[in-house]
Amino acid sequence: MMSYSKKDEDGDSAIFKVDRTSVFQEARLFNTSPISPRKCRLLLTKMTYLLYSGERFPVAEATSLFFGITKLFQHKDASLRQMVYLVIKELASTAEDVIMVTSSIMKDTAVGSDVVYKANAIRALCRIIDGQNVQAIERLIKTAIVDKTPSVSSAALVSAYHLHPLAKDVVRRWANETQEAVQATKSFGSSIMSGFGGSSSATSGTGMSQYHAIGLLYKMREHDRMALVKMVQQFGQAGVVKNAAGVVLLVRLAAKLAEEDPNLRKPMWTLLDGWLRHKAEMVNFEAAKAICNLSNVTDQEVAPAIHVLQLFLTSPRNVSKFTAIRILHSFASIRPVAVNPCNMDIENLIGNPNRSIATFAITTLLKTGNEASVDRLMKQISGFMADITDEFKITIVEAIRTLCLKFPQKQAGMLTFLSGVLRDEGGYEFKKSVVESMFDLIKFVSESREEALAHLCEFIEDCEFTKLAVRILHLLGTEGPKTSQPTKFIRYIYNRVVLENAIVRAAAVTALAKFGAGECGIKHPDVKKSVVVLLTRCLDDPDDEVRDRAALNLKLIKYEDETIAERFVKNESTFSLPVFEHQLIMYVTGDPSTFSTPFDISSIPIVTRAEADAQDRNNKLRSSSALPTLKPPTTGPSPSSAPGIASVSDHATTSAAAQTQKYAVQLATVPELKPYGALLKSSKEVPLTESEQEYVVTAVKHIFKNHLVLQFNIKNTLPEVLLENVTVLCQPSLPEGEEEDAGEPRLEEEFIIPALALKATDEAPGIVYVAFRRSEASEPEDPEVEASDFGYALATFSNTLKFTTKEIDPTTSEPEDMGYEDEYSVEDLELQISDYLVPSFASSFQNLWEQIGAAGEEATDTYKLSAVKGIQEACETIPAQLGLQPLEGSDLVVAQNAATHVLKLFGKTIGGGRVVATVKMAYSTKSGMVVKITCRSEEEGVATRVAGAIA
Amino acid sequence: MSGFFRRIYDWLLRLFWATELDVTMIGLQNAGKTSLLRVLAGGEFTIDSIPTVGFNMKKVQKGHVTLKCWDLGGQPRFRSMWERYCRGVSAIVFIVDSADQPSFAVAKDELHALVQKPILDGIPLLVLGNKSDLSDSIGVDELIEELDLKDITTREVACYAISAKEETNLDAVLQWLIARAKN
Ligand SMILES: Nc1nc2c(ncn2[C@@H]2O[C@H](COP(=O)(O)OP(=O)(O)OP(=O)(O)O)[C@@H](O)[C@H]2O)c(=O)[nH]1
Ligand SMILES: [Mg+2]
Repeated sequence: MMSYSKKDEDGDSAIFKVDRTSVFQEARLFNTSPISPRKCRLLLTKMTYLLYSGERFPVAEATSLFFGITKLFQHKDASLRQMVYLVIKELASTAEDVIMVTSSIMKDTAVGSDVVYKANAIRALCRIIDGQNVQAIERLIKTAIVDKTPSVSSAALVSAYHLHPLAKDVVRRWANETQEAVQATKSFGSSIMSGFGGSSSATSGTGMSQYHAIGLLYKMREHDRMALVKMVQQFGQAGVVKNAAGVVLLVRLAAKLAEEDPNLRKPMWTLLDGWLRHKAEMVNFEAAKAICNLSNVTDQEVAPAIHVLQLFLTSPRNVSKFTAIRILHSFASIRPVAVNPCNMDIENLIGNPNRSIATFAITTLLKTGNEASVDRLMKQISGFMADITDEFKITIVEAIRTLCLKFPQKQAGMLTFLSGVLRDEGGYEFKKSVVESMFDLIKFVSESREEALAHLCEFIEDCEFTKLAVRILHLLGTEGPKTSQPTKFIRYIYNRVVLENAIVRAAAVTALAKFGAGECGIKHPDVKKSVVVLLTRCLDDPDDEVRDRAALNLKLIKYEDETIAERFVKNESTFSLPVFEHQLIMYVTGDPSTFSTPFDISSIPIVTRAEADAQDRNNKLRSSSALPTLKPPTTGPSPSSAPGIASVSDHATTSAAAQTQKYAVQLATVPELKPYGALLKSSKEVPLTESEQEYVVTAVKHIFKNHLVLQFNIKNTLPEVLLENVTVLCQPSLPEGEEEDAGEPRLEEEFIIPALALKATDEAPGIVYVAFRRSEASEPEDPEVEASDFGYALATFSNTLKFTTKEIDPTTSEPEDMGYEDEYSVEDLELQISDYLVPSFASSFQNLWEQIGAAGEEATDTYKLSAVKGIQEACETIPAQLGLQPLEGSDLVVAQNAATHVLKLFGKTIGGGRVVATVKMAYSTKSGMVVKITCRSEEEGVATRVAGAIA
Repeated sequence: MSGFFRRIYDWLLRLFWATELDVTMIGLQNAGKTSLLRVLAGGEFTIDSIPTVGFNMKKVQKGHVTLKCWDLGGQPRFRSMWERYCRGVSAIVFIVDSADQPSFAVAKDELHALVQKPILDGIPLLVLGNKSDLSDSIGVDELIEELDLKDITTREVACYAISAKEETNLDAVLQWLIARAKN
């Protein structure tokens, strides 16, 4: 274990001069006789130093060093032996034939527990042993796990942890010993932790083996939720686990369980709440953080955590203050209101001499505070902006960016601040965050547009980052022509053509052209004229790309027909890049015969700039939490990204696409599905059993052009039986209200791909596929019936698992020869209209509404939803239920207690037909929730089904 | 002599007389290398000796000479590593199970392949036919024949029949090894 001290981290190589070559040369020392333990130890120390600081010996060198080191086994010196093991452990992954030391190490692991190198020997052993031989050391490790010497026990536990991936079944047999190791109360002095500021108590002494044992038990039971629950409840009892790091593991485990299973949320929260009062600070912090991170945490749940963090804000120790404010800061991004009670204490920290604390205090207040305090806080920040690192500057800029969108009225002050810091010194990441914040202002706070553009113009006059210059030029090209005085920008842009490198020059040429083309060129003929003059000059540029762009654009601008320039110069549509990439990969990695036909680019959908941006932004937001609230994106968002408003349904478009992509890869490996063509849509995973049944089953619905494939994921949780040849009997029946068409079934089963064998120890669930053909119109003579009407068949499937069960002999782990047939029915699965809908994004709802209304069908329905408690909740559940994307931020209810709201939704069927809907909602505590949905669709039959799909 | 003087005396003895010799013991699996070394080092013979995975190192003290014995695993996957541990040693001991007729051919090939390595030129070789206590074991002359020892000419070669189990002829082995120190 490396020490925590600063000096070590910095790895001061000046202490001794070490380089790989000289160490390798010196290694001759190992072959001399007699051995000098002191000299050898020094050389080994140099090697560990090199290895720990990231140096890697080539295989031949590592092997030769390794064999040299084995010569040292002739010497009994205990500290030399320890060093030998440390180095062997590190070399084990590179050197060849490391198995050679097995016998020698085994001898060292058999010595008494008081021998200092016993623990080292055990740790080295697990690095050189291979999967098949783990069994041979089973006895040894089992005894060592329960050894009363903490270092030996820890070594065995950690080794087992490392061996787990190599030999799961063997390691799993050590559970009893491991359990015993957690409970063993070994005496190593005081077990009271003073937090991480104190001595080295977190790592050494105080029951570290408990921590290791808990880690190992978790690994063994990872896939057995019931066992994990038992473990966390048993060890979570006060006093059972003394080691604070061990308790921290339990905290994380409890948090994970609470997240995975809604039924466990309450009991796990109770445990977490208890840990808020644990005597070790690190446990308190971990518990508070875990509670804050619970998804959709309620005010009651989070209140005690916030309270504890608040107490730490006034702790005399900086590290506690820092930790507390940092957790509060990130929580304030999600739930500013919940952090409000701490404002007074946070206020006291804004002047803290520790800049890190002060920065977090201010940015937290920016999130929780009201409009009135903004100016004051901004002034405070400006005071020390120069003293903090880029990383903190970015934190501040992100906070301000969110603020701009929250309080647009304050834009002037914030713009001043941003343009000020843009002029300061700073690295790329920092500058990027400032520039992106300004991009957001331009996009979403129209009052600030012209001024922000002016600041950016000034910035590129002296910008060392090519990437930023290019992005700004692009933005000037799109936004500049729309402003009242486009001429202003032309000079700035042309300056780039004169002064910059080829990449920037090329971007500048493209930007310039946009001023001459289309509407702007018509409105300002003088602008068009000067653009032509400037572009003509660019024809002499030394760079090919710049000349090409200039020539192309000149030609287009000079066309009589203005629409041509409009189409080519200002065309904002682009290929859907994720689909493009995926198709290309499929093409390139497919079997060679695919090369006989050229890649068909027309199969790639074209998306508008707005759609692409939305997609892009969603991608970047996906990593951050999906709570309906103001939150700055954690990863740098795209230049034109929308405000940092992340809402549940924002993810609809992306997550649907991402899911489908994921399954497409998986299904491509099933040859039977090849003839079905491309996968168009995959649903979410739908649970068909409670999670604690003997068999846990979930289903995914995959839609192909003319087919439906149901994927059943089946997990057998009974260790005593083996399931063989598992199939699912799926019986579709028409849902209520859908009239039968000439008695024809609309879904015809084509085949079943069974899962061959399911054991409780299987890591991944077994998969059964059931494929259906969605039949064409049953009455082809009837021209009125559209094929799509039948294509979007709805149904309810009743599902029964069929399999052969075989008992497993607990002693041999072998299944018996004879089995018997059995069945197990699970819940019904609904095939809904939403399974055929893909949420998609568009910038203007009104246009869509009118366009589609003119061509398609409209349907209306009204519902009373008794289960829904409030408008915000309905805004989250309804889009998900319908498979549509909320537009114009209509899923965000601004007023806290709004009584009415209108949700605007958009999507496309898998056939490409557009679907729009409005959902008008009214809510009162007395009468509950009433919604009226009006849906329009291009394809016939779709609107009615969508309108009927709210439950 | 009191313990203290005894130690001083030993120390002086080692200082002026003590010699250390590196000896590598090789041979096919189950030949009895590990058993022999255990007995040479003064330990008990055991029937249920486990195969050596890699190598095993023990020192044998005889008078003022210390033999550092490297006992290598004889299973096929370790044989390529023999050479590494034979480099620069004072003697190579090649042990054969003299009652295991079918193994002689392989033993011969492995031995000859090894001594042909130029880096091991001139290192004295002691061939031991172990398990002489077993009734179907062959004698020294037959062993010399089976292993073609006459073909190995560029180094000192000796061949004894021994039994680690009955401790037969072990003194001769030690004497021969210690004599390497005087050269
Ligand atoms: N009868 C008899 N048996 C012996 C004698 N020496 C060794 N054995 C037995 O032969 C078997 C193998 O002995 P080991 O010493 O393990 O053989 P090894 O050469 O070290 O084998 P590897 O380590 O695999 O190369 C054991 O069962 C020993 O008891 C002997 O002199 N006489
Ligand atoms: Mg052996």
